[in-house]
Amino acid sequence: MENLIRKLTETYGPSGFEDTIRAVLRAEVEPFADEIRVTPLGNLVAVKKGRGGEPRRMLAAHMDEIGVIVTHIDEKGFLRFTPIGGVSPLTCLGARVRFENGTLGVIGVEKREDPQKAPTFEQLYIDVGATGRADCPVRVGDAAVFERPFAAQGRRWVAKAMDDRIGCAVLVETLRQIEPVAGDVYFVFSAQEETTLSGAMTAAYGIEPEMAIAVDVTGTGDTPESRPMAVELGKGPAVKVQDAGMIAHPRVRDLLVQAAEAAGVPYQMEVLERGTTDAAATQLVRSGIPSGCLSIPCRYVHTPSEMVDREDVEGAVRVLLQALRIP
Amino acid sequence: METVSLLKRLSEVPGLSGVETPVRALVRELWTPLVHELREDGLGNLVAICQGSSSEPRPKLMLAAHMDEIGLRVTGVEKGFLRITRVGGTDRRVLPGMEVTVHGKKDLPGIIGMRPPHVLPPDQRDKTLPWEEYFVDVGLPEEEVKALVRVGDPISFRREATELKNGLLTGKALDNRVSVAVVTLALEHLSYTAHAWDVVAVATVQEEVGLYGATTAAYGVAPEMAVAVDVTFGRQAGVSNQDSFPLGEGVTIGVGPNFHPAVVERLKMVADKHEIPYKIDPIPGRSGTDAWAIQVSREGVPTGLVSIPLRYMHQPVETVAVKDVERAGRLLALLAASLEPDFRPRWEDEG
Repeated sequence: MENLIRKLTETYGPSGFEDTIRAVLRAEVEPFADEIRVTPLGNLVAVKKGRGGEPRRMLAAHMDEIGVIVTHIDEKGFLRFTPIGGVSPLTCLGARVRFENGTLGVIGVEKREDPQKAPTFEQLYIDVGATGRADCPVRVGDAAVFERPFAAQGRRWVAKAMDDRIGCAVLVETLRQIEPVAGDVYFVFSAQEETTLSGAMTAAYGIEPEMAIAVDVTGTGDTPESRPMAVELGKGPAVKVQDAGMIAHPRVRDLLVQAAEAAGVPYQMEVLERGTTDAAATQLVRSGIPSGCLSIPCRYVHTPSEMVDREDVEGAVRVLLQALRIP
Repeated sequence: METVSLLKRLSEVPGLSGVETPVRALVRELWTPLVHELREDGLGNLVAICQGSSSEPRPKLMLAAHMDEIGLRVTGVEKGFLRITRVGGTDRRVLPGMEVTVHGKKDLPGIIGMRPPHVLPPDQRDKTLPWEEYFVDVGLPEEEVKALVRVGDPISFRREATELKNGLLTGKALDNRVSVAVVTLALEHLSYTAHAWDVVAVATVQEEVGLYGATTAAYGVAPEMAVAVDVTFGRQAGVSNQDSFPLGEGVTIGVGPNFHPAVVERLKMVADKHEIPYKIDPIPGRSGTDAWAIQVSREGVPTGLVSIPLRYMHQPVETVAVKDVERAGRLLALLAASLEPDFRPRWEDEG
């Protein structure tokens, strides 16, 4: 999976600008899917046909990532920007960003009265090396993502956009390995999770599944002086019980637990106090879709160096394969 | 239709979120001669269909402008004075000295007066006071007030729309009656312009309290493409250039996750072709306009947003350039006319 994860995390795709990452994912799933389509919101949906029975299930991993969007260009060619999704000004200091057309930008900061204080977005700007507005290679409304190469070290993988390209990688790998189960399985690579969850919401309306399982990252409580949380890197994928946006449907939660135990994969139970996933949106679609989430523990979420453990990732694939076989 | 008098009528008519009856009646009157079919949906949205020329089933372009406005509501009667709360994002800093209409058993003129500065404790003189300090006075003794006004009655701002110099117009509720005017002008333009698609104009309700009207309207209409029309921040003193747009220099077209690139491209193409000035408004997440509710309806609707720059949003002195309103009306009509029968806003890889 390492090459796949490298490719997915290094690809451009902020919320609402998913064309590039969608093309990369499409090439990965095309040989294994029975049907592929793109929905009006830009979701990529790959269908693995079942043996003609029930239930119809939906798996969702979001392909968009956090980033920035240009709001203004001054006469000297410096760009002002605003975040797409949960970006912290702290991670912007010294960061490089990459635009869809390949332009590289460096984030600079204005002189501040108190340099010890975190800057605000209003004090930050992007320098693309332009000498003025005329030769600036990007326009107002163009979006960029953080630039950071993928790295593998020991058991860990580190990259930008691990949230949630790691979930996309888990879905691709699951699709590659799965034999037809009773019902159709919809692999949704959703758009716009980081901003509004609107990709998975509309995809679920179209698919009308009997169950939806999001595969996304979750936080951990295993780093120095971290916020307490009973999830650790390397202790297996986490079965979500609750997060800030939803309470997992007991049927989905129990199915994932049952599957992990049957597959002999170590797992953890997860209560996340901040943040949510596509499952929060899918549970409210139509008359309600039982929804839950299989989480990949991830350190440093929403920084350009998100870290996961390879055994957690591989374990998640095995749990999903097992869960899909359980009627 | 003469734009200034159209804007004045739309600005002055009351129509708070959830109580849109008066403004809906006016919009019905304005749209009836321009469309083939008019209906009201379960939430009170006014849905008008202007049929296109292609063969059935025709694709539908939905144009949405919310007709509700922010205002006040009666929460109690004390010694003949009315206690109030807000409906939508009413800014209480601008309420003292305001003239209002209380929509009780009959409409009553009223005013909002504050305690005189002479009697205020010094520490309160320079502060925005809490809602408990605000009362509406209709001039009647307590028993008569109680006979005419009940808890829950809406209160709208009473403000004559006024032309300022340089083609500007100021008044209450221009958020978002300017957009209702835009759609009206577009429908008028379309009444003598060929278009293949059905154009479904919707004056939506309850936008200011949660985009509720657009949510049900989009579900009911199920359009192939939609454009919401709303206001955006006009350039004014104390607001940075990156957060605002100059009045009179054109409309804005929203760019970002809330908007389908193919809709954005088509809007820009039509504006360029007809030399309608516009600026790009980058919006990083949900736009806070009807465009969001429409985009996520059913399996998703390719949606765009056209906005009119407006100063002093949510104050009874909202100000726009009349020229921008006319430009937006033209842009929407020409957008509708540009849609070929088989055009669909799609992703390049959608197939």
